[in-house]
Amino acid sequence: MELIDRYLHAVRRNLPAAKADDIVAELRDDLMSRVEDREERLGRALTKDETSALLKDFGHPLMVASRFRTHQYLIGPAVFPFYLSIMRIVLMTVVAIVFMVATMKAVFGDGDLVGTWAHAMSDIWLSVLVNAAIVTLVFAVMERMGFAAEHLVSWVPDDLPDVFDKQKGPWESAIEVALSIAFLLWWTGVIHFPNFTNTGTLRMEPSPIFAQLYWPILVLVAVRLVHNLIQWLRPRWKTLRGLLSAGTAVGGLVILALIYQAGQWVTVIPQGMAAGEAAKIQESLNLSLRIAIVVVAVVWTLQCLGELWRLVRSRGATGA
Amino acid sequence: MPVEEDLFEKMRIELRRGSLVLAVLGALREERYGYTLRQSLEDAGLPIDEGALYPLLRRLETQGLLTSEWREEARRNKRFYRLSPEGEETLAQLLAEWNSISESIVRLNEGTK
Repeated sequence: MELIDRYLHAVRRNLPAAKADDIVAELRDDLMSRVEDREERLGRALTKDETSALLKDFGHPLMVASRFRTHQYLIGPAVFPFYLSIMRIVLMTVVAIVFMVATMKAVFGDGDLVGTWAHAMSDIWLSVLVNAAIVTLVFAVMERMGFAAEHLVSWVPDDLPDVFDKQKGPWESAIEVALSIAFLLWWTGVIHFPNFTNTGTLRMEPSPIFAQLYWPILVLVAVRLVHNLIQWLRPRWKTLRGLLSAGTAVGGLVILALIYQAGQWVTVIPQGMAAGEAAKIQESLNLSLRIAIVVVAVVWTLQCLGELWRLVRSRGATGA
Repeated sequence: MPVEEDLFEKMRIELRRGSLVLAVLGALREERYGYTLRQSLEDAGLPIDEGALYPLLRRLETQGLLTSEWREEARRNKRFYRLSPEGEETLAQLLAEWNSISESIVRLNEGTK
């Protein structure tokens, strides 16, 4: 009997406390009935080995106890497809961000390209593990809150993407989202790149216009991130997508115009370098930036017009 | 082939699992406790894993299909289960469904003979 007591004790440890006494009493009765039945047939008491075999046949204590719990899984089959889809999106974005930041650190670092990149890459496993754990935790909670049952009832077939929609590949979308996130992290000072603006012989300082436009630029990139996420995950929300695209393009053009008006975007301060040489570098840098601003403005204008055209055309087609 | 046997075994278990609720409800038209219920199912050719039986009984009781009470019998306290009025109604509906499924399957397979 001592073996049966030990077995039931092991089962009890994994049972819900409120029902443990009741369940153990019922299991004890079943086991005792079984032992008595067997003993009656054999005409003698069971040996220790025979009792042990009987308990083994009854099942592992952990398995027996787990069946009395309502939830026997972390994420059920109804939630699993959503879990897998979100996990893929999150991990692809994380990998893209880590790669991007690592590459930028390697490029702007102290010259040890391979070393800097390899070191940054070693962080990827931790980032992937932490994010996978967070996604799993969120979905385990959603499983218990009945998300799948609710979502499967409330989904709208009209939200499915059009067959003709040119959807970007998942990696292209992930990289776009990662770029925006990486920029926001750098802009808000969460991550730092090596100080490539200070080479020892000269120091580069950005124009005060960038500090003045800190919030507009932050909002612009954040809205662009929302646009990219919608484009990736909810391509059928065309109106919102079109408005965000046109809005960010117009906002971007205004910001570019303000930046352009500053006239000078980088100041080169010589540190052990001839002042004339520093002035030449400053002049070429500012010329390059002037051309870059104009090119970006032209590209954004074309993008904005294209997006508006697509929006008008798709609304016309819907109305037809 | 072992793979095919394994597949058949999995499908057989799946098929029987669905019908066990019906068997348990049917057997509990008469009052029984866990051990005798399991024996009667086994005698009827439907053996059930004891690890599955007691959680199933509790679930059916929570759903209001069974009632239970602790009583002493043969010098030991035992929990007796019986079909509730709601359980009888559900059993009748499930049996009708079972017969309908069975007839459909027979009809579908007759066509292939």
